[in-house]
Amino acid sequence: MVSLFKNTFIEKRTIVLKKKITRLSFLLPTLILLAIFILYPAISTLYLSLVTPSGNIDPISNYEDVFGRREIINTKGISQGFEFPLGALLHNLLWIIIHLPITTFLGLILAILLRDVKGNAVIKSIIFLGMVIPMIVGGLIVRFMFDKYVGIIPSFLNIFGVIPKNWTIYPETALFSMILGSIWLWTGFSMILYSAGLSTIPQSYYEAAKVDGASPMRIFFSITLPMLKPITTVVITMTVLWELKIFDLVYVATMGGPGGSSNVLALQMYLYAFRQYNFTRASVVATILMLITMLVAIPMIKSSKGEERS
Amino acid sequence: MKKNIFHTIITHVFAWAFALIWILPFVGLFMTAIRPYDEIIYGWWKFDNFTLTLQNFVRAWNHPTAALSVGMRNSLLVAIPATIFPILIASTTAYGFSRFKFKIKNYLFITILILMTLPQQMIAVPIFRIMKEMHQLDRFLGIIIVHSAWAAPWIIFFMRNYFSTLPIEIEEAATVDGASDFVVFFKIVLPTCIPALISVAALQFSWVWSDFFIALILVFSPDKLLATQRIPLMRGVYFVDWGLLSASSILVMAVPIIVFALLQRYYIKGMVGWTLK
Amino acid sequence: MFKEKNLNRQPIVGLFVVLFLTFFILSGIFVQAQDAVTLTLIHPWSGAEWEQFEPVIKEAETALGIKIEARAIRSEDLVTLLPTQWPAGTAPGDVIFLTVPSLILKGAEEGHVMDVTDVVNPGDFVPGSVGYVTAENGKVFAAPFAEGVKPGFWYRKSFFQKNGLKEPTTWTEFIDLLKAIQEIEGIKAAIGSGNGTGWPLSDVTEHFLVAFGGPQLLNELASGNKSEETWSLVEAIFKGWLAKLIGDGYFSEPIEWTTAQDMWWNGDFGLFFMGNWLTAMVEDPSDLGIFPIPGTKGITGAIDFLTASAYTEHPEETKALLEWLSTEGQKVRVKFGGTVSTYRSVPLDLYPPAEKMLAAKTSEMEPLFDLDDVIGGEFQTTFWDQLKLLWVKPEKVDDVLEVIHDAYLEAF
Repeated sequence: MVSLFKNTFIEKRTIVLKKKITRLSFLLPTLILLAIFILYPAISTLYLSLVTPSGNIDPISNYEDVFGRREIINTKGISQGFEFPLGALLHNLLWIIIHLPITTFLGLILAILLRDVKGNAVIKSIIFLGMVIPMIVGGLIVRFMFDKYVGIIPSFLNIFGVIPKNWTIYPETALFSMILGSIWLWTGFSMILYSAGLSTIPQSYYEAAKVDGASPMRIFFSITLPMLKPITTVVITMTVLWELKIFDLVYVATMGGPGGSSNVLALQMYLYAFRQYNFTRASVVATILMLITMLVAIPMIKSSKGEERS
Repeated sequence: MKKNIFHTIITHVFAWAFALIWILPFVGLFMTAIRPYDEIIYGWWKFDNFTLTLQNFVRAWNHPTAALSVGMRNSLLVAIPATIFPILIASTTAYGFSRFKFKIKNYLFITILILMTLPQQMIAVPIFRIMKEMHQLDRFLGIIIVHSAWAAPWIIFFMRNYFSTLPIEIEEAATVDGASDFVVFFKIVLPTCIPALISVAALQFSWVWSDFFIALILVFSPDKLLATQRIPLMRGVYFVDWGLLSASSILVMAVPIIVFALLQRYYIKGMVGWTLK
Repeated sequence: MFKEKNLNRQPIVGLFVVLFLTFFILSGIFVQAQDAVTLTLIHPWSGAEWEQFEPVIKEAETALGIKIEARAIRSEDLVTLLPTQWPAGTAPGDVIFLTVPSLILKGAEEGHVMDVTDVVNPGDFVPGSVGYVTAENGKVFAAPFAEGVKPGFWYRKSFFQKNGLKEPTTWTEFIDLLKAIQEIEGIKAAIGSGNGTGWPLSDVTEHFLVAFGGPQLLNELASGNKSEETWSLVEAIFKGWLAKLIGDGYFSEPIEWTTAQDMWWNGDFGLFFMGNWLTAMVEDPSDLGIFPIPGTKGITGAIDFLTASAYTEHPEETKALLEWLSTEGQKVRVKFGGTVSTYRSVPLDLYPPAEKMLAAKTSEMEPLFDLDDVIGGEFQTTFWDQLKLLWVKPEKVDDVLEVIHDAYLEAF
């Protein structure tokens, strides 16, 4: 009797142990990979940003140093009436201020507009193409679009009497040309997301509203927009995250020039790390980027976390 | 009635006109690539001389210092493993997060969510150092590992959400019949997830192919450069022209575009799916 | 019966296998023996320039009885590649072309580059050239090969003839020439400004510095002279000459230099500043004329230096190749045009006509190094970036100078 009991007990223990090991093996490889190649480096960079080159922990001096650098914030440019270069930080901010509303709004309008258009799959693919191509090619196309001789935009504006010039080599237009280009590249994202969202709004809502005699405008603001709110959060978050990380585009179109007029934080971080070999400054910039992106991403993370509780 | 037809026509005209204008830059690129450079030096819309030529593509393919033939082969050598490997291990982990119960599950998951938001700049310098220590600098294995690690968080997130939508009864039945977790996962669950896996693969492959930053940091031997790295090289060095550049661009972007064209539904479901729910 | 047949076959099969293996092993050894005299040569050339250099390699192979495997790696890439390979005890080749003396000397100091004092005689080469790669202890660590020089402003003789223009001999004549060109119909600007990643804009700038500050200015800047006087001279040249001319509209805005060259050849610009390799890049080199800013006594350029890797498996053959290339090799090289030899024993007649004219004009000038190449690093990136700004916004010359000055100070 006792031996029987013992056997079953040990068997059960072994089975449970086996199961635990199996389960662990499901999780462990990836988690180890993440720990070594993502978590540890991220913490390491954070630490680097807090330690001065001489080895003391002095985050304030590091951050002060970076924020005081002309390539991050150019107080001279700002004080001279917002003349470029303004500094990478401000350039990113400008990028967000201009790019975000336009792509979000444009994407929404397009999603609505193309709902009932024949062949809208083709049109949507065309608009979405910008998201599919490598950004380095995107940057090249932007450089190409704004070239004085072979670019369509200067030549187009020439019809209206604007003298063609190469937008990417002048300080006042270098950044804007890239922002415009990035709108062309990224609008497809918000359009696709809104398209998906629109299709989830039940037709019955619209029917009911029509029966009630509501105008299209009214329908839009009271039904469509509110129902698209969660998607809007996602679109805005992802767009801002993308705007902060822009690197390839600038690298190939202007390399941050002329005179740093189109520099962005991601590019400057690269220059600090791999041209200046100043890892402290690079880490500070990287950490700043991380903090901003985390801040922006919080609402989205919260909603994803809340969703899955099963 | 009339108003509706008028409205529809206007909308269609506008939509198609918009699309045509939107695609103009690509048309320009294409035009510049298939014509000899001296014809388009003042604008590709000038059609006085029109010769079709594949010369630009050939030159880009065989370029002496930035050959795309080598570049694209390298990109494939990196992108394919960097797609298969993370999908394999991350889906398994995602399943674990979805079905297993363990104490620190939520903390781990939140950490993974946070990792998803990191900019690549945050790991750039330490990864360079780590790869240097591991002697994987300038080696494809190194860059594959980094891409795999980078992809893991979002694949875990995506697949976990997908697993949660699957009815658990089938798995429970199998467990009762005595199947181990491995069997349940690999023989029962995974086969039903093929659409989701295809979405993940399409996106991941495109992103690795299109990557530039990680490649820039970890790869620098001329014959190891990936396709995306060759493009800036062709600018601003010795003999360079827009014909060559546009041909190279078309070759490099053809790959993700083909993936998109073939797997469009999965691609979009992947994008919409993982950012939404 | 079956078994017997097999028994008979076995020895034959066995013999076959033994013969095959022997052949295999022997061929392996044979191939190895051949490999023993193959050297890897790293060079930066491609396209037309490679075609000018390839014959040199072929001659070297014949003359030295070795096999050379040539691989192209650009200078910029070597600058990042070598510092990672060197500490690991490897290098991409046995003989490596490098244009950055500071990197060569650094490599020498750390033991990655071989001492070649016994195969390089400074007196054989253009004065000062070997000095750049001589360490403080007097040992030489590289041999000069051909140099690319940036001699000045090129023009088409046919263009000048047609418009009754002449080469200037004084600064005033230079300005008058610019004015005259600017007024010709069809001209977009007197001087076409080519730009790639920052040069040739930097070449033009340095040409102005040498012209008005003399070779000693460039030497002082290259060695990190931080005195006020030196910098105010730089400022004066920028403001009084460079920025002023840009502001007066004599320079076009920066255009990709290959395009700018085509446009200049087509008559959109009168003058084009470019290095001597232009001679090999135009369809009619005999139509080329060149002049520096009058009174210029120094000429900037880059010398392609030959270095021998300390990690080579064949040190003697490597040194022999290095020696041959820097002497006999240059004689072969100049025949194909587009370059100027640093080896003094190369007779002028070996040069093609356009290069002969160039060599004749520049033989009196002191060879100097590109300032941005010498200092390199962050300074170079900033210098290039700021010049891009200066060219489109000459009125911002003060800001530009300030940023360049800061970068300069930080570099030393």
